[in-house]
Amino acid sequence: MFDSVDQVLEALEKQSYIADKNIATVVFLAHKLEKPVLIEGPAGVGKTELAKVVAAATGRPMIRLQCYEGLDEAKALYEWEYSKQLLYTQILKEKFTEAMAGAGSIRDAAERVGKEDSVFFSYNFIVPRPLLNAITSDDPSLLLIDEVDKSDPEFEAFLLEVLSDFQVTVPELGTIQAKQRPLVFLTSNNAREMSDALKRRCLHLYIDYPSEELESKILRTKVPDAAAGLVEDLVGMMQRLRELDLKKTPSISETLDWARALLALNASELDEDLVNQTFNVILKYEGDVRKAQAELDKLLQKKAGQAAAQAPAAAPQPAAATKKGALH
Amino acid sequence: MQKKILEFTNILRKSGIRVSTAEAIDSFQALEELSLDDREIFRDALRSTMVKRGEEVPTFDQLFDLFWSGFYDSLRESFGQATGGLAEMGMDLEQLLQQIMQMLQNMQGQEGGDLGELARALLTTDLSQLENLIRAAAEQAGVERIENFLQVGFFSRRTLEQMGVEGAMDELRNLADQLEQAGMSPEEIQALRSLIEGLMEAVRRSVRSFTERELQKQNHDYMEKFRRETLLEKSFYHLTEEEIRKMREVVERLAQRIKNVLSIRRRRLKRGKLDLHQTLRRNMSHGAIPFELVFKQRKKDRPKLVILTDVSSSVANVSRFMLQFVYTLQEAFTKIRAFVFVAELGEVTPLFQELDINKAIEEALEGGDVINVYTRSNFGYAFHHFWQNHLSAIDNKTTVLILGDARNNYNDPRAWCLRDIHNKAKNVVWLNPENPSAWGFGDSVMDKYLPYCDVAEEVRNLRQLSKVVDGLLL
Repeated sequence: MFDSVDQVLEALEKQSYIADKNIATVVFLAHKLEKPVLIEGPAGVGKTELAKVVAAATGRPMIRLQCYEGLDEAKALYEWEYSKQLLYTQILKEKFTEAMAGAGSIRDAAERVGKEDSVFFSYNFIVPRPLLNAITSDDPSLLLIDEVDKSDPEFEAFLLEVLSDFQVTVPELGTIQAKQRPLVFLTSNNAREMSDALKRRCLHLYIDYPSEELESKILRTKVPDAAAGLVEDLVGMMQRLRELDLKKTPSISETLDWARALLALNASELDEDLVNQTFNVILKYEGDVRKAQAELDKLLQKKAGQAAAQAPAAAPQPAAATKKGALH
Repeated sequence: MQKKILEFTNILRKSGIRVSTAEAIDSFQALEELSLDDREIFRDALRSTMVKRGEEVPTFDQLFDLFWSGFYDSLRESFGQATGGLAEMGMDLEQLLQQIMQMLQNMQGQEGGDLGELARALLTTDLSQLENLIRAAAEQAGVERIENFLQVGFFSRRTLEQMGVEGAMDELRNLADQLEQAGMSPEEIQALRSLIEGLMEAVRRSVRSFTERELQKQNHDYMEKFRRETLLEKSFYHLTEEEIRKMREVVERLAQRIKNVLSIRRRRLKRGKLDLHQTLRRNMSHGAIPFELVFKQRKKDRPKLVILTDVSSSVANVSRFMLQFVYTLQEAFTKIRAFVFVAELGEVTPLFQELDINKAIEEALEGGDVINVYTRSNFGYAFHHFWQNHLSAIDNKTTVLILGDARNNYNDPRAWCLRDIHNKAKNVVWLNPENPSAWGFGDSVMDKYLPYCDVAEEVRNLRQLSKVVDGLLL
């Protein structure tokens, strides 16, 4: 599937996911060593997205398990389909009586029922949940365990069996080995630190906010219609915004949203009014908006300063022209 | 290679990054799958297999640079300088070397014709061979035992001796003499001689820089440990600005850990009486036969908290971390009300609702616009004020947390106010940054207040602080 790190980079790029080498190396290793990957990082940097594009790039079906507080085995692994079992006993009632016909004693009857036990505790009556699906799937699949930090510590302990040996145990059926080892991605927002036991079994990938260069590359790929000037302004502004002490630092997904919003407004570059009007696209708290507005001068000034530095060399005439225009 | 990786693993461990054996094995397997030409990929492979915590990544990166670095690069640099001098004299190194080698071959068997390993490596500037020689010698000299900067000279000298640099130099000088006799031109001989001196200098410099790196490596773990552990133990009285900043992170992490523990504790408490309604509802699909039982959740008993904090300069640091701790954990309490005092008392709860934690704390320590902080501490006055105006804030579920050194500047302690507070509250906890042996001496009135405190603890460092907060929540 993948033979080198560069090949991974290429494959991801084809799915329009711009990754750095670090991400590609980890994906490559996960595939080669058949180890799960624990992806950590701030919200919105593309953790879940990575799993999706890897699934698409490798042509594997993606099986997703969304974690939340109170998630238990019944919802993650399997459940017995009680009503179906009940229905079957009703339908098969006659057969039972038939089977019981010759039974002399209660003990004998109970033994006979016991022999048929396995009929009702078989794959027919199991509702498979994501984990069992991933393990029993005939084709290699990709299992995404999303926001694993939201789950309870007990569930985490239970995950260990799946992650280290790719097997699960159903008491009535025994241990089920994976037919094809799935690629496993776990994402975490660090709401809670995961246990060392879990971490030890995983490769670790920390995705941080992207560098300026990477971010503009991502923007150009994802929003190809955006003008070059706008991309540059946007990315510069986002990078400076992240330096502020905000409650929720805007991430890559916010950058993309913003770019699309600005595109819808037909903007070709950033100015103060526009930024003020659209701040709520990237900042999700009133306090953050106020803080950013207070710093807006600085955020834009830096840009203006750069522009001023470049302008005399590049195009002194248009600058003079606008000045004249202002006089009229 | 394996040995080097194990060594690296050891250094990571010493710096507080926990790398298990299984993880080290993973890293070997990972490296087998990858080509090692790309330094970046090599680093990423090690990082993803060995480092499992986001906050440890910077430490790893630093150590990686120190360890795998570029000692080879610095070697190349110093030797580049040495051989560069030759070019200035208008000599081509390649050509000169070829000539020498040829003459050496002719002289084979004669005395001085055979060069030692080191001398040969030097003359041909075989850098990887040189690196190996330096490393081996350094190991022999016990460089990993280096502890401080004063030992750099000593260990460098020992390494050089171990390498036999002097001997190699003599060999090379002899060689120059012999070549001269064998009829090499005077310019060439001169160039060779200056090359030899240059090489000598380069080797010395390289060994020194190797030793310095080794020192940095050892130091790194020392500094990291210091940062993590001693901050917990360090007395609040002697903190620098820098440490206060770092301390904030430590408090944050500690609070986070308590939060985790709490969630487990609370879940254990959950099982209460059978919940008939829920059980029936849950088992509808089973024909209302109760297969799965549902239990009522016992109500979470979260304490209410009233904090009275002395913000006079003598205890400002304790107050700072106390407030940060409590507010980071605020969801563990039903309600927190915070008051600050020096002599006057004022409520700062609104600050914490409007601002983010750190800002609110800084403002609260300034008196939060409600009190004058530039007076002398008067606990009696503050308690009386609380008794008059805020006693209604306390009910039988409230824990009152008082933070102060009880140094009352010989004012009236008015301990009866605290007695009334104690009678109304669930319990009264007093945190005092002073050692219990000092309580009640001088202007301390701790002994007057002590009868009305359910718990009175010395809190002089973070470890003690976290213990007390933990106890509150249990």
